[in-house]
Amino acid sequence: MPRSRVRRVGRILFSGLAFHVKTLSQSNFFILVSLIQPVIFASIAFYMFRAGGRAPTLLYAALGAGLMGVWSSTLFGSGGAIQWQRWQGTLELIVVVPPPLIQVLLPLTVATSAVGLYSIVATLAWGVLFFGMPLHLVHPFMFAIALIVTVLGLGLLGLVLASTFVLYRHANALSNLLEYPVWLTTGVLVPLSLLPGWTHLIGWVLAPTWGIKALRTAALGGGNPFVGIGMCLLLGCVYLLIGGIFLNHFERLARDRGTLALA
Amino acid sequence: MSAVEVRDLRRTYHTTTGVFKRRPVEVEAVRGISFDIGEGELFGLLGPNGAGKTTTIKMLITLLLPTSGTATVLGLDVVTDARAVRERIGYVFGGDRGLYERLSALDNLRYFAELYGLAPSTQRARIGYLLELVGLEGREKERVEGYSRGMRQRLHIARGLLHDPPVVFLDEPTIGLDPVGARELRATIASLTESGKTVLLTTHYMFEADTLCDRVAVISKGRIVAEGTPRDLKASVADSTIVEIEAYGVDDDTVDRVRRIPGVASVSVEDRDQAQVLLVQSSTGLELTQELLVALQAFRVGRVASREPTLEDAYVALVEES
Amino acid sequence: MKFLRVFFIGGLIAYKALFNWLKPSLYIPTMLGSPLFQILFFTYLGRFSGVQNDAFFVVGNAVQACAMSAIYGMTMTIANERFFGTLAPLLASPANRLAMFLGRALPVVVNGLVVSIFGFCVGLLFLHFHLALGQVPGLAAVLVVTVTSCTGLGMLLGSIGLRARDVFFISNAVYWSMLLVCGVNVPLSVLPGWLQGIGRALPLTHGIAAARRIAAGGSLSDVGALVGAEFRIGVLYGLAAYGLFRLFEVEARRRASLERV
Repeated sequence: MPRSRVRRVGRILFSGLAFHVKTLSQSNFFILVSLIQPVIFASIAFYMFRAGGRAPTLLYAALGAGLMGVWSSTLFGSGGAIQWQRWQGTLELIVVVPPPLIQVLLPLTVATSAVGLYSIVATLAWGVLFFGMPLHLVHPFMFAIALIVTVLGLGLLGLVLASTFVLYRHANALSNLLEYPVWLTTGVLVPLSLLPGWTHLIGWVLAPTWGIKALRTAALGGGNPFVGIGMCLLLGCVYLLIGGIFLNHFERLARDRGTLALA
Repeated sequence: MSAVEVRDLRRTYHTTTGVFKRRPVEVEAVRGISFDIGEGELFGLLGPNGAGKTTTIKMLITLLLPTSGTATVLGLDVVTDARAVRERIGYVFGGDRGLYERLSALDNLRYFAELYGLAPSTQRARIGYLLELVGLEGREKERVEGYSRGMRQRLHIARGLLHDPPVVFLDEPTIGLDPVGARELRATIASLTESGKTVLLTTHYMFEADTLCDRVAVISKGRIVAEGTPRDLKASVADSTIVEIEAYGVDDDTVDRVRRIPGVASVSVEDRDQAQVLLVQSSTGLELTQELLVALQAFRVGRVASREPTLEDAYVALVEES
Repeated sequence: MKFLRVFFIGGLIAYKALFNWLKPSLYIPTMLGSPLFQILFFTYLGRFSGVQNDAFFVVGNAVQACAMSAIYGMTMTIANERFFGTLAPLLASPANRLAMFLGRALPVVVNGLVVSIFGFCVGLLFLHFHLALGQVPGLAAVLVVTVTSCTGLGMLLGSIGLRARDVFFISNAVYWSMLLVCGVNVPLSVLPGWLQGIGRALPLTHGIAAARRIAAGGSLSDVGALVGAEFRIGVLYGLAAYGLFRLFEVEARRRASLERV
């Protein structure tokens, strides 16, 4: 690929990311899902762990609840992305621009997971302020890398959600359904060893499983964060491929049936 | 070379109907149309709602695949060269959707400037120029959700022109605008051809087509029923007279009866306040007023007048015949 | 008679028109799927933290599941009137306001019961939760009171929604907060005093406590005080909701604030 083309694609991706982060940050719904909800769930986990005595550290709970927030905002933001654009009347406009649809949609789905960063910041701050949680990260630099890779991995998973949910008429209901099961099977709060064996397979193919592993080992020590980081990246590539295929299929189908605009 | 070439274009939709037993239904939206638009021409596609205007435009801008037939824009095929076509066209539709509400006009334009690959160095100047062209300068930092219909429509136009496309498609751009807003928008549209662009405009406002278009095609039930300059179309009904009859409470049966009076070419009904106005078209020289009043004797009749035909009358006659 | 017709028929039609989740394609994932996984999630979290046994979480979350129907259902059926622009014709009608208001609650209560019963079945089938057959009538009685009481809160949120710009923001925040402060997953005694206070002032808290005692073998007479408190709280919220509704109606006529969004 010639350098000018690479630069151009890079610009589309980065300016799109900035644009969508800005749009999402203006939405009440995202503030709700990425700030209030994680803080409440973090509090529940803090109190439960404190009362149970068998507690892991508070930092463990804060990270878990934060990543739950990242998943929620990716799920609701990306899952309904195409429907929302259609409803708003902008779907036709982003299909009719010269770059392939994937270059237009990828920044959007990554933006939905990137605003989830608010969640992690919120649960960490909440823990420090109200629960006296010591914020000591074992490998701060690794933690930052793990965070970026996790957000990217979830954003790419968002691309798969965006391109598959569109085939289902009520994307929102599907989002409602998939919030808890993914929290459960990716082990963000509950260790996977407590769950039945067959669920491990589901967790294995979902980026949050590896993301939380990387974040936890970087923050709390006791392992190599690169395993999680590497798996997140690997799965991200697979998601990109799947998302690309589905999006192509969607665009062809929509042009064939004339379903880009709201009838 | 023509800017747009359409040959025997067809489009069928497959849908289902029925609540319990779903039956497949085929709807032929466009049934084999052909036309050419010359470079720098402002071409109007006229037709009632559901005639196939929007379907035709969507095939030309690569959003919809034709069922059969071909279409090219600047020599590029809309199916096989979709990406190249997309780089060279602008698309603007009417109504107040299609914008990112929570962001400013400037952010909306910047985003699409990136998607159309405008060089960063020229973006600012281009956006500034377009904001001035559509009269939004000074308001560009406000959120779109507070914009009036007219402002939204002008923003749509600015967005469609960002990459300076040689061919512009305008799908009912003045729909729902107030008279002043619509007039300003028409002035903007007229200025597009002055800068050498080719424009395809769809509308169902006849005076709009009459004042703006170099050539028009009338489309009805998926077929082109007439094509030519507005003057040509008017000439096709030049030897006829329009009788306007103001009446109250006329029912459909009576309108059908009027339609069957020998010598009547077409009848249309417009609602005005509490009254209706029957527009009866007939060949010049036939004095039908008396007969018409007899047919309407059961109803209260107001003002009666006869006049020369307009483009609208030509259009009504064409659509009714089809 | 007229009152009853407005209450039953009017209420049901309004519910169908305004409650967006009634189609099976929406109902199953939202109303049944999400409580199912919520119960599983918190039960496993409970096992991990070692706070309480499965029964604690099954009862807490199954009873709380009815709050979803009550809160979102009532918010939607009242607040959507404004969203769809149908509020003005409704207020122009001479129908009895109280019947109109309460009629909408009945389908919501019934639906809440269905969702809660489903939640208990999940616990019985998949988790370490057992319920003696003799305890079922008592539990059912507690559920009816609790879901009614939550509906009172839902009505209040719906009334607020007639004026507030983004009522679903409020109802979501309230719904999640109830997971924390109503003793659903965290024993009330663990919470700081002020959170306990908020919890006791909300519906659900006393109902869950009563349901837990009955599930553990207690009789209805053991939980009389709790059930009574739950009911009184619900009635208070319902009254506040109705008062607010009438206030907005009067104010809307005076200040033309009805259609302002």
